[in-house]
This record gives sequence, C-alpha cells and structure tokens, in this order.
Amino acid sequence: MEKYGLYLGCNIPFKAPDIEQSFRKVFPALGVEVTDLPGAGCCPAWGTAPSFDLTTWCSVSGRNITIAEELCVPIMTGCNSCFGVLSEAKHFIEADPSRKKIVNEKLALINREFKGTSDIYHISHVLHEKVGLEKIKESLTYTLEGLKIAVQPGCHILWPSDVYHVKEKNSFFPTQLKELVEALGASAPHYSRLEACCGMGGMRSTDVEKSLELFKTKLLSIKEEVDPDCIATTCSSCFLQFDMSQKTLKERGEIDFEIPVFYYTQLLALTMGFDPAQVAAISVTPRDALIAEIQSETRKIKEKEHT
Amino acid sequence: MPAIVLDSEKIKDSVKRIMEYGGTGVLKCVQCGACSAVCPGVKAGFPVLCRLLIKKLLEGQFEELVEETSTWGCQACNRCTEVCPQGVRPQEVVFAYRRYQASELAFSSSATTSQMNLFATGHAVFTEAGPLREKVGLPAKAPTSAYDDKAQKEIQTLLTESPMGELGLF
Repeated sequence: MEKYGLYLGCNIPFKAPDIEQSFRKVFPALGVEVTDLPGAGCCPAWGTAPSFDLTTWCSVSGRNITIAEELCVPIMTGCNSCFGVLSEAKHFIEADPSRKKIVNEKLALINREFKGTSDIYHISHVLHEKVGLEKIKESLTYTLEGLKIAVQPGCHILWPSDVYHVKEKNSFFPTQLKELVEALGASAPHYSRLEACCGMGGMRSTDVEKSLELFKTKLLSIKEEVDPDCIATTCSSCFLQFDMSQKTLKERGEIDFEIPVFYYTQLLALTMGFDPAQVAAISVTPRDALIAEIQSETRKIKEKEHT
Repeated sequence: MPAIVLDSEKIKDSVKRIMEYGGTGVLKCVQCGACSAVCPGVKAGFPVLCRLLIKKLLEGQFEELVEETSTWGCQACNRCTEVCPQGVRPQEVVFAYRRYQASELAFSSSATTSQMNLFATGHAVFTEAGPLREKVGLPAKAPTSAYDDKAQKEIQTLLTESPMGELGLF
C-alpha cells in the first residue's frame, strides 16, 4: 500500500474534524495508507511567518516537512492554504542553495535537517492521480446519480502551478474536481465563476464586507446557473466560508436560499457507506436531508458496506 | 506643481528594499495589468494591489505606502503569478512589502492574536476541540504541536531566532 503522511493544519483538526475523519476512512479503503505527522504545527499560515520573513517561513514549513522526511513518506494535505504554503516553501529552499544553507542552520538549532525527500500533494491530487477515477467508481456502495453538484476547487490548489507536482491542463478551467464528483455518479456542471475566489483567507480577516461581497457573487452564480443539490469543495477554507457565510447573508436578507456544503471526501465517504456521524457531522448549513437521501436504499448499487 | 516627484535615489532604494524582502521580480514589470485583471483583491475593491502597488514601488514610494491596508487583503492565490507574461511573480512583491509593513508593526491589531497563538500552541488558529473530535470518533488530542511540548519548543525556537522574535509579539 502506498503510504502518505497526513498533514492536518489548523482548521481541519480543530474546527472540522469530521473532514479529517473522512480522510482517515476513505484512503485506507482505497489502498492508500495514512500515517500521522506527530508534532506538526501550523504550515505556517499566510498571515503569520510568510508575511514577516521569508527565511522564517521556510524554517517553520521546513520543520513540518522534516517530520515527513524522517518517516520516509510524502505529505498530503486537505487544506489549500497549507498546500500552497508548504509547496512554495519547499520550492524556495530548493531553488536557492544559499537559502537552503540558512534554513538548515536554523533547523540545526532544533536538531533537524531539510533534505527535500518528501514531496507535497493535495489529497485531491492523490485521489485523482494515484488512486484514480476507476478505483473510486468501483468502491462505491451508493450512487449520486441524478444529483447536481457545484464544484469549488479553491485557489491555492491551482496556482502557482509551476511549483506543484500535479497540475490541471488549464488552471483557469479546472476539471479534476469535476471528474472526482462525476466518479460518484453526480453531474458537475460548469458555472461562470467556477474558478473565482470565495473570499475566505487573508481577505476575510482584513475586510469581512469585501469578503462577503465576493462570496455572494460566487454563490449567486452557483444558484442561478447550476441550482445544485449541494456544493463540493476540496478546500477547508472554502468549506468554512460556504458553510457559515450563507447564514450571514440569509440573516441580512441578501439571499433566500441555503445550499448544503460538503468537503469532497465527505461525499466520497458517504457514497462508500461510512457513518455520517463520523464523516459529515459538523455544519452550520443543514445537510441531514441530503445525507439521508445519499444513503437511501434506492441509491444502493452494492451490498458491501465499508465500516 | 508636479503630482509625483521621481527621485532616482529614492527609486533605487525602493527597488533594493523590495527585492531584499523577496520581491525579486519587480524590475521585470512592464505594467501590462494582467495581474490586476485576475486578482480577487482588486475585484473586491482593495485599491493598491498588483499593478498599481508595483507602479508605486517602482516610483520610489516605498515608505509612503506603509499604512496601505490593501496588501493585507492579498489571498496569496497567485493568479497574478500564473498570468504575468514577464515572470514578475506579483504575489511575492505584495508579500515582500507586507514584510516591510510587519517590521514597522503596520498591520491590524487583530492579526496579533494569530502570531501569539502560533507561538503558544504552534497553530495560528487554535480552539480546544476535544469534545468535537470525540463526537466524530477521533482521539480528543490531535497529533499536532498543540499537545506536544517538544514540538512547541522547537517552533518557539524558530520564531524567537527570527525577525518575528524582535517585534515583541510573543
């Protein structure tokens, strides 16, 4: 079995541990072993070390990467920001020998050394490229046939593509998440603002009104062009924005609808028959009705259930 | 009366400083505006990002921009880097400028909490999530630095032995 170190970040383990559980359930069932990276900390977030000093960014990221190096595993993460921060740090360290030297001088203070032996992946890259769509299709207990899903890949998973191992053919017209959703039986129609930013991240901390304005534009595009049964994302930050900000907009009277939101692996876990109380338990926007629909008898395509 | 005074020493100084902070591609910019066309920050209404930020830096306005909040609205999404025909990597210029602003403590006071959390727990964002994790069948303590003293000390060492340590945030 291929083994990957699961880099958790901050939001997934502390705000959305059901997303973490969905990773821990689906990957072994699909033939990928998941191992912890003990003592890993913040990637560090864009608003922290990367905004203060490039060497400090590379050292703190480098420390996280050395944990995986010691275990001889590549890293996979479900947070887009973490994916971007770690990938760019690795690129900065490796592209400049003098920077690598300074970073390793810092890491030597804590008895660590960056070697560059662990590559960094997003969990959706592992699913799309290493597991593959066929294997995913074969592993389903339930089908999402007939459901319409609006996809949200997020930003950092797509750009800057030159420092990532797995790329889209056209990063401004991404298809990997669409294909992952279609593998579950659902349709994932295009919408005009598919590659637009949801407004979470540094923007939201700096100016929440601007963030909500961007989010609303995105949400209305989804509602008017797709009118989906739910939204599926591969970014934990996008998940939080989509899940909590619909309520805010509704309370302000700016929208009169709510669309359930899932992290992609939560939908995958549900279609594989895993327990929603573990893999899809925490949300502000209600999704119980859709979860019950997904795991209903009429959608069963296989008797075998994963536990 | 001239609107902008172009002072070649001031420009040289501005370029040198932004490059030292990490904005190494800044001199390649030809002001085409492709970056601003794809930037969600510009779309959201932040006035000084991408093309305009680079223009001001190339005109020598390095210290004059210190109070500008637009840079803190950058998502680091790197759409700009993807479309730039010159290889400027505009996001790196924005973040390089942020590093200057941070050294002058010119950031929102709400951002201080993230730095303090990072030092205390190793996480920029931390909440005690034991019951929530157990509810979904996971161990109460996540296998991260939050519950690992040795890991926290390592992260703290890296932070104190850095320009961040000199700012008195921890």
